[in-house]
Amino acid sequence: MKLFKRKSIPREEQGIVNTTPEQTVRAFLNAFQLRDVEAALSVVDKSVRVEIFPLDVREGGFDDIRTALTDIVTAFPDLHLVIKDVIETGSVVTAELKVEGTQAADYAGAVNQEKHLDVDQAWRFTVDGDHIVGIHVYWCQNQLYRRLAVKRLDQIAIV
Amino acid sequence: MTTTEPATRELTSPADVVAAFFEAYSRHDVETMTEMCTDNADFSYIPYEVWGKQRVLRGDGKVRTVGKVIWSGLINSFPDLFNVVHSIDANDKGDVVVMCDIGGTQQSPWGFAAPKGGRFSEPHLFIFHVDENGLIDKIKAYWNGAGINRQLGHLEVD
Repeated sequence: MKLFKRKSIPREEQGIVNTTPEQTVRAFLNAFQLRDVEAALSVVDKSVRVEIFPLDVREGGFDDIRTALTDIVTAFPDLHLVIKDVIETGSVVTAELKVEGTQAADYAGAVNQEKHLDVDQAWRFTVDGDHIVGIHVYWCQNQLYRRLAVKRLDQIAIV
Repeated sequence: MTTTEPATRELTSPADVVAAFFEAYSRHDVETMTEMCTDNADFSYIPYEVWGKQRVLRGDGKVRTVGKVIWSGLINSFPDLFNVVHSIDANDKGDVVVMCDIGGTQQSPWGFAAPKGGRFSEPHLFIFHVDENGLIDKIKAYWNGAGINRQLGHLEVD
């Protein structure tokens, strides 16, 4: 007979998380690398605040990051995501990425011309517990359009 | 006989160093910005690409040879160049990440963008590394160049 029996409370219920902010972000990025949008979103809080500056997404939310990820894995089915660096500064984690792929569908208004894309990007995540609550995304849309053979910013769909 | 204490550099946190860097940038004090960096500090403005017929000029190199020239050129083209720092996040390894807006009113050509008196303000992300002596030894920056060009009325993707 056990004299002392302590009820085990799950760590989640105690508010204890096992993952570091960097691990949470790496889970997101690893799923993105595998083009698994739903797995990437599994570590994103439903109330996430999203700013994707090149796509003019300001004060966006969960649906905006879902759309952004879906659009890129759809338009670039051979997407190759290189994680160049991940920097943890407290609850903020910044990832430097290179996004590569061959265009197979229209993307960000650019008609598919089967061009190869390679664009350096920076994603700044804010993590609370084991969920991402903020995403700020930076890349140069001029560089992206140049690679996709777009000639003018006011005539993106004209080739 | 007069003895002089050797000059000592007051060490501050990496976040303070970077905050002071942006203050110098606000004053258009390129010399101080440069002096806050090591002699061999790396510099990379990722979106900076000028495509010529035979070669591409990129914003990659060293602070003293590439960075200083770009900063001076920017201030010359945008005499009221400003920055608004929104956040500075740092760790104990010397990494510092800054979210800010940079903007100004164009008075002379910048890249292929002819001056039309246009004004821009664009979100930027800077990544610094500050060494153990309190000197910046790496500067990287990301922004959306198309956002700036649109605001300046330069619509060619060149």
